[in-house]
Amino acid sequence: MSDSPFIALQKLNSYYGSRQILHEIECTIPRRKITVIMGISGCGKSTLLRHLIGLKPTEAGEMSIEGKDVGTFDESDMRAYRMRMGVLFQGGALFNSLTVAQNVATPLKVHTRLADSTIAIMAAIKLHLVGLTGAADRMPSQLSGGMRKRAGLARALAMDPEILFVDEPSSGLDPITAAGLDDLILELRETLGMTIVVVTHELESAFRIADQMIVMDAGKILVAGAPEEIKSNRDPRVVQFLERRADERRTEDESYMASLLGGRKVECEIEE
Amino acid sequence: MLVDLIRSLGRYGLSQISFLGRMGIFFYHMVRGLARAPRKFWPTMRQVLFIGSKSLFVISFTAVFTGMVLGLQGYYTLSRFGAKGMLGAAVALSLIRELGPALAAIMVTGRAGSAMCAEIGIMRIEEQIDALECMAVDPHAYLITPRLLASLIAIPLLTAIFDVVGIFGGYLVGVALLGTNPGAFITGMEKTVEWNDVHMGIVKSLIFSVLVIWICTYKGYFTGVDKGYFGPEEVSRATTEAVVLASVAILVSDYAVTSIML
Ligand SMILES: Nc1ncnc2c1ncn2[C@@H]1O[C@H](COP(=O)(O)OP(=O)(O)OP(=O)(O)O)[C@@H](O)[C@H]1O
Ligand SMILES: [Mg+2]
Repeated sequence: MSDSPFIALQKLNSYYGSRQILHEIECTIPRRKITVIMGISGCGKSTLLRHLIGLKPTEAGEMSIEGKDVGTFDESDMRAYRMRMGVLFQGGALFNSLTVAQNVATPLKVHTRLADSTIAIMAAIKLHLVGLTGAADRMPSQLSGGMRKRAGLARALAMDPEILFVDEPSSGLDPITAAGLDDLILELRETLGMTIVVVTHELESAFRIADQMIVMDAGKILVAGAPEEIKSNRDPRVVQFLERRADERRTEDESYMASLLGGRKVECEIEE
Repeated sequence: MLVDLIRSLGRYGLSQISFLGRMGIFFYHMVRGLARAPRKFWPTMRQVLFIGSKSLFVISFTAVFTGMVLGLQGYYTLSRFGAKGMLGAAVALSLIRELGPALAAIMVTGRAGSAMCAEIGIMRIEEQIDALECMAVDPHAYLITPRLLASLIAIPLLTAIFDVVGIFGGYLVGVALLGTNPGAFITGMEKTVEWNDVHMGIVKSLIFSVLVIWICTYKGYFTGVDKGYFGPEEVSRATTEAVVLASVAILVSDYAVTSIML
């Protein structure tokens, strides 16, 4: 049981309206490992994450958690799953009518019958973990973007989840704080055996923390595997992503011209 | 051409049906949250304070002028029939049965309902509602239930204040300005207003409380969900729609309730 994957996806297709965002995604999230999901902006990373945390409904047969099909989950199954997870959203998603400390305390207040003073101590511990001790009594609107991210992470950790999902923890952070967060994520896996899924653009941090990597492109999985396998992959798209090269100009020129012409096809030859 | 017309009519019809269905489901979740009412005592009290502090002034203000207009109009109408003595009764009955509940609820919609819609709408576009769900917290019980309970407490009270201040406004114009006999004003009122009238006013204000919260929080909760686009302008659109829809719903249901209870 312990080495079977926590989450397994089989041919997951996802749509917004009639637009298909994810195509036949197949991957597994192993237990007690750090899985990093990478890919260029808009390729569907956050959408994939929304499926993993059960916010976007998944068809039966497409995703299973500990062998149980999510498509057949009822309300209490979903609730039980969510009690075991922590989520950091891309924008932090802090409750803006509550202070940072109250934000972190919210899950504890709702789900436990601990005394307020105990809850306050537990919230303070989590805030210390992410280096926000000084900001406990501030309102979310008084925080910088990076501080909001860290407060959101503290809140995600409040219930000591078994599985943690983080959407771009280090975007908008300075390199030193970002490295601190990487250390924290590694520490969570080492000391608590947490299963962690991280979405990130930062190659360096990705290679530092990942046990398993998933590289996505336009709603499909390009490659998945251990960091070394990704590094030695020869697929031109993967190489391009890893070397941070911009897209070829020429194709862009054509679609740019087409967009100027309102979608009509460009007939003329573009001069090089 | 014709096909296009039929198609767009069909699409409109379908969207209205799904809107009604979703509102129904939302209502179910809202009411289900009431099962957890005992744990909501303090959040509810905060919302009572919010509704009250937002609306008390504007309600007193509109009430006094509504009463004054009623006094003025009533005086000239009744004096044609030589029934000036009925002025107190006329003012009080129109306020208690009709204008008090309806106008108080509309004022609460404009002040507190719109603010609630915007607040919840912002929570939607900033993924705070998603965050609640991921904490295994039922967003309906957490966000909507205290507001529903609070409005069931606050709106009847504000309606009562509206009635009293309005009657005072009518008295001001009728007695102090136009010189009706004060004794006749008061006794006329006392003799005519019955428990039935007050009962009708209370029932209406309770129904309006549910409508205001149901519509305003619904609009906030589903901000941008249909379009799949969660920009800030969606919040202002939702707020406008909430105020318009809630005001219309209050007036329509006012007619319905009156016709049933008469
Ligand atoms: N609510 C929505 N409705 C419609 N389309 C959406 C919605 N959310 C995202 N999309 C589309 O889905 C695609 C994938 O979006 P997603 O947010 O998953 O990208 P991402 O990989 O997380 O990008 P980023 O790195 O910029 O966060 C995008 O093309 C986006 O336009
Ligand atoms: Mg994203």
